[in-house]
Parts: sequence; structure tokens; C-alpha cells
Amino acid sequence: MLESQNPQEGADRAAAGREAGRPANGAPLADREVPLPGSEAFGTTPAAVHAWLDGEASEADARLADARQVALWSRIETETAQRRRMTTPAYVQQRIMDALPQATPTMATATATDTSTVAAATQTSGMIALSPVSAVLAAAGLIAAGFLLARFVA
Amino acid sequence: MVIGEKALPIPAQEGLSEASLRGYPSAVTNIDTTLSTEVDSDQEIISRVIAGNRDAFGTLIHRYSDALYRHALGMTGSPDVAEDILQTSFIKAYHHLGEVRGRFDAWLFRIVANGCKDWLKNIRRSHLSYDEDDQPSNLTTPDEDLDRTELRHDLDSALAELAPSLREAFVMKHVEGRSYEEMADLLGTTVGALKMRVHRAREALQALLEEKYA
Repeated sequence: MLESQNPQEGADRAAAGREAGRPANGAPLADREVPLPGSEAFGTTPAAVHAWLDGEASEADARLADARQVALWSRIETETAQRRRMTTPAYVQQRIMDALPQATPTMATATATDTSTVAAATQTSGMIALSPVSAVLAAAGLIAAGFLLARFVA
Repeated sequence: MVIGEKALPIPAQEGLSEASLRGYPSAVTNIDTTLSTEVDSDQEIISRVIAGNRDAFGTLIHRYSDALYRHALGMTGSPDVAEDILQTSFIKAYHHLGEVRGRFDAWLFRIVANGCKDWLKNIRRSHLSYDEDDQPSNLTTPDEDLDRTELRHDLDSALAELAPSLREAFVMKHVEGRSYEEMADLLGTTVGALKMRVHRAREALQALLEEKYA
């Protein structure tokens, strides 16, 4: 598809996007990882609460902004702190060791020789293997087909 | 109570950092016994494994399994699934150990993180929750225990509602206690992008939980 070279058309599309509450490039604000400069603050949590949760502000500052949300996050933190202390069940580590293959992992060395060897091996593996008996049968079949074709043409 | 990084004692002790790995109790019985006096670098251990010392891999399992298990558990909500992902990831890492370039811990983390995301993509989710026995508990009264069980259940349900990328960011920040810089290092993205993901995850969780708990 050919792109329009009319600059006014792009400006019109951007204006229409802004009217629909979208940024100029059409992506919904909620999908953006970094808000556009000048766009409204995202979400309902005060910045002071986020800053407190990120360790960048005091709890007192966060409480001044929204005491209810601080209470909620304090409860959630109690639960996440419990999870933070969890350790792998002892039998899991042993189970992983038992499940490891006996073969030793090999060092991946991508030298020119190795690469050509791998390429040659790949080529060889793509060929069809023929036993002597099947080769003779195939030759006989081809000769018979040749005779039939010659008689048909004659 | 302070929730942010200042209140989190974990990252320096339990993150994926070699410098912080001294003094872990061992649950693996056949790890390399030559490691008793000093902590070897990951690369030294990898060299020993490739040289044929299979048991040396136990040191790497022992070194990183807790942090990775918490990640898998936080992402999947199921201890059984977390154990399976951990096992599969370590076996995959063992197979490809010779291909490690750069930091082993970051490479291993990506294997586990991708395993979790694949599971989240493929599973038709039913509610999965931690078993009571899997949680450490220092609460004493039955009322507190009941409250905590309910909150745990509700938090699991709310986490399951989040998009995988938001859930991953929230779990790494609040459950694993990592700094934004460490998260950016492991996930290969920017601190700003991760802050936005964590903030969006908090907004979503708050919307789901505040009516009942705030």
C-alpha cells in the first residue's frame, strides 16, 4: 500500500486521535509503559503511595495522601513478606539432581572447522541410504521402464 | 510499617547475586565437596561440570533454586507447577551449560521466567493456591490465621487476573524484593518501564482488593 504524502492528512488523524482520548500514534494510554508528557496521571493511587511502596518516601507522607490505601498495602505487604521467606522444598533440589542426564554437557565452540563439520553432517543426514539389493532392483526397474518407453515410441 | 525497598531485607541476601550466596544451608546431598572453604564463581563451577564433575551442578541448584522457586511460585500460584518449572529449567540449563555467555544467573532466570510465561499462556487457569503447609507462619491466633488465609486466597486470585508482564513485575518487586535496577538487568528493559508495570499492577490489585480490605 502506498503511504500518503500529504502532511495535513497526518495532522488530521492525530487530532482525531486526541479527540478520542488517544495519543497521536493511536496506542491507548493504558498500553503505554511510559506515560506521554503532559498526559494525566495514570490510575487512582496517589504518587506519594507509589513512592512509599518504592522506598522513596516515608509512610507518614503516604498516609497524608491516602491512609486507606496505606492500610491496604500494609496488609498485602504482610502476605508478600511471608512469601519472600519461602524456600525450595528440600526434596526438589535432590529430585533435580537425580533427573539430570548422565552425559556431560559439552562446550559450544563455534570454530570454522566445527561449523563445516556440522554442515557436512547435516548434508549427509539429508541423503537417502540405499542398500546394494535395492540399488540393483532400482536399476532393473529403470532398464525395464526404458525398454517399455522405447517400444511405445517405436 | 514501611513497604518499599528500605523495608525489604531480602535483595542483598536472597537475590540472584554470587556475592550474596555464602551460608546457604544445603538440601542437596551430593553436591561437590570441594567447595567447603570459599564460594566459587559460577563460571568456575560451570567449567567443572563441563569437565565431567556432574555433582558440581548441585552447587548451582543450591545457589539459585530458592529465588527462582519464589519467582515460579509467584507467577504460577501453584507449588507443584513451580517445582516442575524449576526442574525443567535446571535440566535445560544443564544441557546447554556450554553455551552460557555472560552472567549465568541472568541466563538461568530467563529460562525460568520463560517457563512461567509459557505455562501461563498454555494453561486454562483454574484457581490454584498455595497449600497451608507451604507457607512459613509466625501467627498464633486462629483469627489472624483465618484472616491471612483469606487474604492469601484473594491475593492469588487478584494476581491471576493480571497480565503476565504486570504479574512478573509485581512478583519481582514485592514478593522477591528486588530493586528496579536488578529487575531491569534481569529482564533486559528499563527502570522506567518496570516502574510503570509495577505501578499498573498495584492499581489493578488495589481495584480488586480495596473494597474488601481497605
